[in-house]
Amino acid sequence: MLGALSVGVLALIGLMAFTVIDNAWPSFSANGLSWFGSGGDVVTQFRAMQSGTPLPGHSLLYFRAWPLISGTLVTTVLAVAIAIVVSTLAAIFLTEFAPAPMRRVLEPVVRLLAGVPSVVYGLIGILALVPWINEHLISNARKHSVQYVVQLNGQDLMTATLILTVMILPIMIAITTNALASVPGSWREGSAALGVNRWRTIWRVSVRTARPAIVAGAVLATARALGEAIMLSMVSGGLPFAANPLDGLTFLFEPVQPLAATIVKEFAGQQGGAVPHTIYAISAVLLVSALLLSFASWAAKQPLKRYGIGA
Amino acid sequence: MRAHRTLIISLAVTLVLAVPAGAVGKRLIVGGSTSVLPLMQKLAAAYHKSFPKIPAPQVQGGQSDIGISGVASGRFDIGDSSRNPLPSDPAGLRFTKIAEDGVCIITNSANALGNLSEETVQGIFTGGIRDWNEVPGAKIGGPIDLFDRDNASGTQDAFQHIFLGEEKKISPSAQAEASNGLEQSAVSADKQGIGFVSFKFTGGVNTVGYEGVACNLRNSTSGQYAGVRNFWMVTKGPPKGEALKFISWVTSGNKTTKAIISSSWIVIH
Amino acid sequence: MASLALGERTSPPAIVHPPRERTTSWPLVDRACYGLCWATGIGLCLIAAAILLLMLVEGISDLRLNLLFESPLPSLNQSQAGGFFDPIVGTFIVTAIGTAIAAPVGVALATWLSEYGRPAWLARAVESGVEMIAGTPSIVLAIFGLLLFARGFFAFLSQSAADGNVTGQSFLVAGTMMSLLALPLVVAATRESLAQLPLRLRESSYALGKTRATTIRRVLLPAIRPGIASGVVLGMGRIIGDTAIITILLGSSLKNQPASGTPIIGTLRGFGSTLTSYVYNNSPAGEGNAPQKAYAAAFVLLMIVLALNALVVRLTRGVEPSAAALARRRRVFSRLSGLPWNR
Repeated sequence: MLGALSVGVLALIGLMAFTVIDNAWPSFSANGLSWFGSGGDVVTQFRAMQSGTPLPGHSLLYFRAWPLISGTLVTTVLAVAIAIVVSTLAAIFLTEFAPAPMRRVLEPVVRLLAGVPSVVYGLIGILALVPWINEHLISNARKHSVQYVVQLNGQDLMTATLILTVMILPIMIAITTNALASVPGSWREGSAALGVNRWRTIWRVSVRTARPAIVAGAVLATARALGEAIMLSMVSGGLPFAANPLDGLTFLFEPVQPLAATIVKEFAGQQGGAVPHTIYAISAVLLVSALLLSFASWAAKQPLKRYGIGA
Repeated sequence: MRAHRTLIISLAVTLVLAVPAGAVGKRLIVGGSTSVLPLMQKLAAAYHKSFPKIPAPQVQGGQSDIGISGVASGRFDIGDSSRNPLPSDPAGLRFTKIAEDGVCIITNSANALGNLSEETVQGIFTGGIRDWNEVPGAKIGGPIDLFDRDNASGTQDAFQHIFLGEEKKISPSAQAEASNGLEQSAVSADKQGIGFVSFKFTGGVNTVGYEGVACNLRNSTSGQYAGVRNFWMVTKGPPKGEALKFISWVTSGNKTTKAIISSSWIVIH
Repeated sequence: MASLALGERTSPPAIVHPPRERTTSWPLVDRACYGLCWATGIGLCLIAAAILLLMLVEGISDLRLNLLFESPLPSLNQSQAGGFFDPIVGTFIVTAIGTAIAAPVGVALATWLSEYGRPAWLARAVESGVEMIAGTPSIVLAIFGLLLFARGFFAFLSQSAADGNVTGQSFLVAGTMMSLLALPLVVAATRESLAQLPLRLRESSYALGKTRATTIRRVLLPAIRPGIASGVVLGMGRIIGDTAIITILLGSSLKNQPASGTPIIGTLRGFGSTLTSYVYNNSPAGEGNAPQKAYAAAFVLLMIVLALNALVVRLTRGVEPSAAALARRRRVFSRLSGLPWNR
């Protein structure tokens, strides 16, 4: 009977993947591979689908997701990059340099950061961080420079990346700390015996050994960042806009709308017809990326077994 | 075995109770305009209070176009619309007027703009005027942040017809909000913001007069304020059954409905 | 060694420690990195303190006891009307349904994986399946729930729209999908606890003639109760903190709107709100436009989640570390003590 239950759970997962992709297929088949490309404004395309009148020269399911994909990619890559640096430094601090009282404080701190619900992060972002950025970092001149294309308020790429980094830090810190603590002591002793100073020992021996763990942590953090919908829908700006790096520093202040946040925003406006297919198509993209990242994290954990480093 | 029997019996009881539960007390589902939403919520509550046997109609938002197409597709029993019927609407729908409402231009409370002329309004919203320094009477400077509504909004239709005329279009760089409430939040959060909402949603923001006339209930009722539009309840064909009962109660002009409507909207005669 | 007369005491030879390594001897780059590490550690503490302080100050200033017991009023001026009794009830209902499904199913799955696990390819597939569920974003789970439960077959779980279309949004549906969130946590905790049980426990039970099923039910599961409890509480924490499934599968109304007049079943089949969706709706991203209420509700939510986390720590601390773990700990620390910077 337990075996039947397990098969049932497997069947449920299979059913999930099958149903999502089946309902997403009309959107993909109507657009082909250029579903991922650019061409037109996402908001206009959604409104055309809602009203039932296709845009001139295109089918009702016409959709070009590039602004959403670029928003997702930029926020995720930036957040994970910052988080790798910060989490490695924090893990080194936690395992090596922190005096015992500080370590006793830091462990609950990391647990606290991991436990805060994403809607509370979003609330703090939208009520505290966004107005601050709007007042102090976005000047009138900057607003004027892009006024013909988009309006800047504090809800933008930078706020989204900052809060996303704080959200994914605990995962990476936990994994990196475990790995650093499991580095064999004899290796560090050997390095110390050769006269290498403490920091270099940590950097050249411990961190280098824990590199697969850092990679595994980064993959897990990417999966978390990709799937974050609610916090991003609150602070990232709500405008499907492909932020333009050629704008210089203003690039950081332009609104974006990652894929998961788009599902939350557009879900309310759906009826039968074209909009649900597009939303399911976006979900299918997220599902496939989550599956690929699951597999990647399994692959990233393999080298850890070589040294018996916990992860 | 005893545990299994309890489990089976409780499951059976649950199923037996659940099946007829769907059949009893069918409630009306009303949806559409976010401007009509507060009025419809009050009317639904009062309707249930007057007729306790009838379950209170369930009221949703979604904007006027969603309400109209929802009625046509059968998703809603009654749709709410804050714009007049258009030729592009699905055929066979019956629009019943229930009230009138004012559309106000709003700015942030830090920018206590008193009045705007037709020319300035058109200049601002089409993107011709880009900075608050160019607007007479503005209390702040800096670039103007425009807030628009979705294409599905009836309030946007009304704003277009009344304030902009047929040719001028709102600047495409304006940020589109999906409901009156969101527009109100957006303008109250942005010092340089300007937008338009239904009269009921003007709490916490500064209302701007149009052509010398302040946007308030008295001016809208008397007809002095130009930005007045109709509220409709939409049904597929003539209203029938439960929907007919509700709509006739709303339009009957009895004391309760009159009191509710006149609180923030305009009673029609 | 000098010869000792009987009974004469000698003091042990004096231990000479070379001077401790000081960072002032390091090159500038290394010192800069050392400073960065300290800065990161302190920065983390500051961020956590800032979050807590902000929620405390803003949340408590608007939290009054009557807010917890009043229903939200469907008024536009949320800052003056009503409390969040309905969202609290909604949170409770969703968590109860989610845990009630996830706990037994998770324990059963983990037991099958750990005690039976044949055929091996099926066990690996189920393991990967559970990991896939763990890695799926909750928004995708919500969309899947919508697809699955909006069919006519599941009409009894939610209510129908005017034209007979099943909405697929109700407490029952949301609770069921929430159980998928908690499932991997329960499975992982149970598997870990089962793996830590010594083999002789099972062997002695088999030696007494008990079947595998009885052993599991009467011997193993009672022994790992704290582990299962910690997994279930972790799952509850995850369920309480999730918003994406609620916004999509619970109809995001302010009050709990029962589908029909039947006492409990009507509420379970109807729309509703939870603390998370209440916070979302009252933030500037939603309709309510009442940041004070949002802060108060977010404060209550945060306190509940932190209390659950503290409970998990308490539950896992009660477990005695095994002899092997103690020996490992002794070894690691003895190694550390020999290094030139730890003397």
